[in-house]
Amino acid sequence: MASQESEGRILILATESCAYPGADSVGQAHSSYPANTYILRVRAPVMFPERFYLDCFAKGISGIIIMSCGEECPWEGAYKALADRIDSVYRMMRERDIDIRRLRLTAICTVCNRAFLKEVNQMNEIVSELGPPGQLQTGTVQAVDSQ
Amino acid sequence: MTASKHQRSDRVGVYICYCGGNISDHVDVEKVRADVEKIPGVAVARTNMFMCSDPGQELIIEDLRQGRIDRVVVASCAPSLHETTFRGAITRAGANPYIYEHANIREHVSWVLHGDRATAKAEKLVAAAVGKARLLEPLQPIRVEARRHVTVIGGGIAGLKAARVLADRGLEVVLIEKSPFLGGHVARLDRVAPHGEKAADLVAELARSVLEDEAITVLTRSQLVGFDGYVGNYDLRVRAVSDGDGEGQGTYVPFRGVSGGTPPELTIETGAIIMATGFRSYRPRRGEYGHGDHAEVVTLPEFIRRFSMAESADGTLVLDGRIIRSIAMIHCVGSRQIPGIHEEDAEGRLNEYCSRVCCSAVLHAACRIRERFPGTRVHDLYRDIRTYGRDQEELYQRASGAGVVFYRFSPEEPPRVTAAQEGAAGQDFPLRVTVRDGLTFGEEVEMGVDLVVLATGMEAAQVGDLVAMMKLPVGSDRFLQEVHPKLAPVESSVAGVFLAGTAQAPMTIGEACNGAAAAAVKAASLLGRGYLELDPFVAEVDPDLCQGTGDCVRACLAEGALEMVEENGHARARVVAARCLGCGACVAVCPTGAIDLKGWSLKQYEAMVDMIVADLAEST
Repeated sequence: MASQESEGRILILATESCAYPGADSVGQAHSSYPANTYILRVRAPVMFPERFYLDCFAKGISGIIIMSCGEECPWEGAYKALADRIDSVYRMMRERDIDIRRLRLTAICTVCNRAFLKEVNQMNEIVSELGPPGQLQTGTVQAVDSQ
Repeated sequence: MTASKHQRSDRVGVYICYCGGNISDHVDVEKVRADVEKIPGVAVARTNMFMCSDPGQELIIEDLRQGRIDRVVVASCAPSLHETTFRGAITRAGANPYIYEHANIREHVSWVLHGDRATAKAEKLVAAAVGKARLLEPLQPIRVEARRHVTVIGGGIAGLKAARVLADRGLEVVLIEKSPFLGGHVARLDRVAPHGEKAADLVAELARSVLEDEAITVLTRSQLVGFDGYVGNYDLRVRAVSDGDGEGQGTYVPFRGVSGGTPPELTIETGAIIMATGFRSYRPRRGEYGHGDHAEVVTLPEFIRRFSMAESADGTLVLDGRIIRSIAMIHCVGSRQIPGIHEEDAEGRLNEYCSRVCCSAVLHAACRIRERFPGTRVHDLYRDIRTYGRDQEELYQRASGAGVVFYRFSPEEPPRVTAAQEGAAGQDFPLRVTVRDGLTFGEEVEMGVDLVVLATGMEAAQVGDLVAMMKLPVGSDRFLQEVHPKLAPVESSVAGVFLAGTAQAPMTIGEACNGAAAAAVKAASLLGRGYLELDPFVAEVDPDLCQGTGDCVRACLAEGALEMVEENGHARARVVAARCLGCGACVAVCPTGAIDLKGWSLKQYEAMVDMIVADLAEST
């Protein structure tokens, strides 16, 4: 394993057409990476509203990596909408004193094994450094952000 | 069922696979089963050595039929491999196939982790899948009309075979070929290994049957320049290949004349596409085994062409008026290249794969030389002999019996081809070949020869424009890549696009025809009914929650997929399912959570996260 494993849980939102098969490819190569990573298959991460990320941190997720298709996104315009939303999430994280390094948007292709491992190990180091996220009141977040 | 009315199932069945040790060597599968069984909502948890096997699938079917479960989670390999398998099993049990969720505990767990950490992670992923499965709802697939029409790109042996098989199954076919001729590389061969049939006969018979079939339209000197649409309903633009000057029909090209063969651009409405774009022969770099430095060094395809016009001088081969007393044939030229040993191409790449057909092709040529021209000596210089396949090992035996002399070299010390020097051994030959022979325990052997034949391998065809336009996956060897080498060997990841022949990998003529027939049958079965059933993963609106803000319509990425309508005097969003891409861009912007994605809902993701952060011991 490339780095010491942290206790914090890392959520990976991996697109079904690029990053999820990319993670499969890492497995096929039997390349080891931290166990505290949980990969969820998504059609397009553009579906997640700002509050989803803030709720995850509030629930105790220490880091989130959005592994998108980047410019190869099969849905034209989705990546830009996603990038804009993540900018918005970063603003909200700053307002709530959540280190923005806990959230990372990246592009992983179906054979991007090295990039996948780099991203996971980097986030693991960040999560190790930062420790668990502070407890947020999820309901408060929703009420403020939906206005 | 609408987005706000989720009810959790309390009858989830969990099925955990050993994968013959692939999972159970690193994950304590029985511990996962015992722990998962205690999660609220789980009614049944079972294990099997191979859950994808018939006995494994029967476990699921039986539990569904007995009413023990109404949702299914399978924890096994990547969903790309067996999601369809398990949905099929659920359907056979008479249930809805969309009550299913998959946990990948092989590629994402047992192949990257070991010991207790692997078991703990597997439990979390299965628990997350249970969290989602409890919220799954039965869904109905979306029916889309499909054109019973296939376009084949490439008029080589694979393209011809695919077109033939498609037409035999009653589909309309357009075959697009860039060159003026049909037959591809096979048409440039003479007699083919291992049985010696005439390549011309193979090509001519197949091409004739294609050209005479009214269901097949053949467009030579044509190329694909536009690709739009979706499976069952692709719109292709095809343009004629210019004469090299890029001029269209009726244009005067100085000193050549008026271009007459360029028809206007065509649009083809098709349902599926078969990529039969073939390969290109490796071109040795200058100086590689003397190629380019000595006229007597030729590639195997060049030799085959010259040999078809061979003459005899008292049993000795005569090529182009020159007596060939001795030939050296060198294997693995441009194939099985090794980093640090072989020189990379201009783009820094090596052909690390075996081209698979060269050994048999060389030995077949060597046999023919020796059998027809016993006065000509043949020296066969190889790294390994790989005459795999039916009746091909016999070629090696036949060549040995015919007096072909074998030498085995190592990649670190390949044969050297030099011009013969006056006074040296073999001075009456134009070339001298030196090889350290592993068969004689490393003895250095020197031979004079009149001709060196390089068994050049196959490289991927240059189809970068098509790859970019159609977003086709390409392997590290640069050939087009299938979804899975065993489970989906002719399918590309683009729905409705199939792979045939050497576009996919080096292969023999027989294998190319097999692949082409498989691709054709796949395409025919896809389009045969005239309609497709697509996954129903589209947005849905809960009218009780919708406040008619129109945010979703503005965020929608597909024109016309969402619209505002009037219902009981209130503005409401409505999804046009056939146009919805299922991306979920609308889900994120709804202020009331009134819109969600069927089968991949935000609520389901929230449930998965809840299970990941939960202490399973406490939750049970």
